[in-house]
Amino acid sequence: MINRKLAKVLSFRYKILALVFIVLAGGLVLLPKYEKHEGIKPEKLLGNAMSSERYISSDELAHKIINQDPSFLLIDVRDEESYSKYSLPNSVNIPLEKLLEEDSESYLNQDGFDVILFSNDNFYSDQAWLLCNRLEYKNLRVLEGGINTWFTTVIKPVEPTENQPASDFELYSFRKAASMYFGVAYPDQTKADPPPKKKAPKKIVPVKKKKKLPVEGGC
Amino acid sequence: MGPLIPNDIISHEWNYIIAILIGIAFGYILEASGFSSSRKLAGVFYGYDFVVLKVFFTAALVSIIGILYMDYLGYLDFNLLYIHPTYLWGAIIGGIIMGLGFVSGGFCPGTSLCGVAIGKIDAWVFVGGILIGIFFFSEFYTLFEPLYNGSFDGYVTLMDSFGVDPYWFVFGFTILAIVSFYIADLVRKRVKKVFYN
Repeated sequence: MINRKLAKVLSFRYKILALVFIVLAGGLVLLPKYEKHEGIKPEKLLGNAMSSERYISSDELAHKIINQDPSFLLIDVRDEESYSKYSLPNSVNIPLEKLLEEDSESYLNQDGFDVILFSNDNFYSDQAWLLCNRLEYKNLRVLEGGINTWFTTVIKPVEPTENQPASDFELYSFRKAASMYFGVAYPDQTKADPPPKKKAPKKIVPVKKKKKLPVEGGC
Repeated sequence: MGPLIPNDIISHEWNYIIAILIGIAFGYILEASGFSSSRKLAGVFYGYDFVVLKVFFTAALVSIIGILYMDYLGYLDFNLLYIHPTYLWGAIIGGIIMGLGFVSGGFCPGTSLCGVAIGKIDAWVFVGGILIGIFFFSEFYTLFEPLYNGSFDGYVTLMDSFGVDPYWFVFGFTILAIVSFYIADLVRKRVKKVFYN
């Protein structure tokens, strides 16, 4: 038996479908708009900011440089003038105001290297770290204390006093060795060149050449 | 969350397997709804059958409305979806050639393969023509290359190039679709009916 009511409704099926379409599409137009948050989520940013991985100490960095670790990229976020005066070896200069330019992106937004940001202290490098993090760049780290700490620890380490623990002395000797690697000279480490030895005149010993004996017999 | 594969929720290795499954389903539905008949496609041009127009228009609408809702609700990142690159003149001229092929052959590349699968001789001939065309194009590629790679506009959508709000665009598109369905129905009623299998 044909359900007449259903048949009656179904005769309008195309109109109903068209109406559904219009309602759905119209719904899209009427939806309240909101600003989408692009980039990293706040919770993740906070997690990254609190992570101990965020900083790298100057000792760790010195260790990496001395061992010629190829896995990191040093980014100097100070201005060009300071960069030209002094910077860490093999660092790339991307001043903070140029951080978001297109040329900088290839250095910062990559998976191949750890990016180590530094400035005089970690004030500007932290800002750079935050900006890059919001853009979801990966493997970012900040040199703890920046170049100032680099100087007081690696370049010019303070000698521990006698009542300090042995580990401090070990650290000091590491830092001292590191500073020597980076070109600091210590008076107690320099060796005076030994006086040049006099060259003894060569004795000439005549060597008698054996005379070839005439071949005797043979088979 | 989505799209599932770019976000690594489904690993990349599944890409082809999923593509094959969707392809089988697509082919089955094409065949089951009679698209493997060349008369159905040709009907759009002669005005006695507009099912093809309706189906593909509706499919486009359903997907774009669905995508926009899912994007709005955060299930899908609209910006991660693949957008086909636009080579404007290549597309225009290719479109004209393809349209001519549609009218004269009565198949689109997809439905022709459906026709091949169920053993339609005209579909075999059509696919043969496609292969000859591919051969011709490849052999004379240097000749066609400036057209093929020229006038590249990037990965743009209609909304980007017209600078319209996507929601309004989709609303307009919906109205356009419904109006075109209505007109298509009027045309169909006036044209003499053609019966075929």
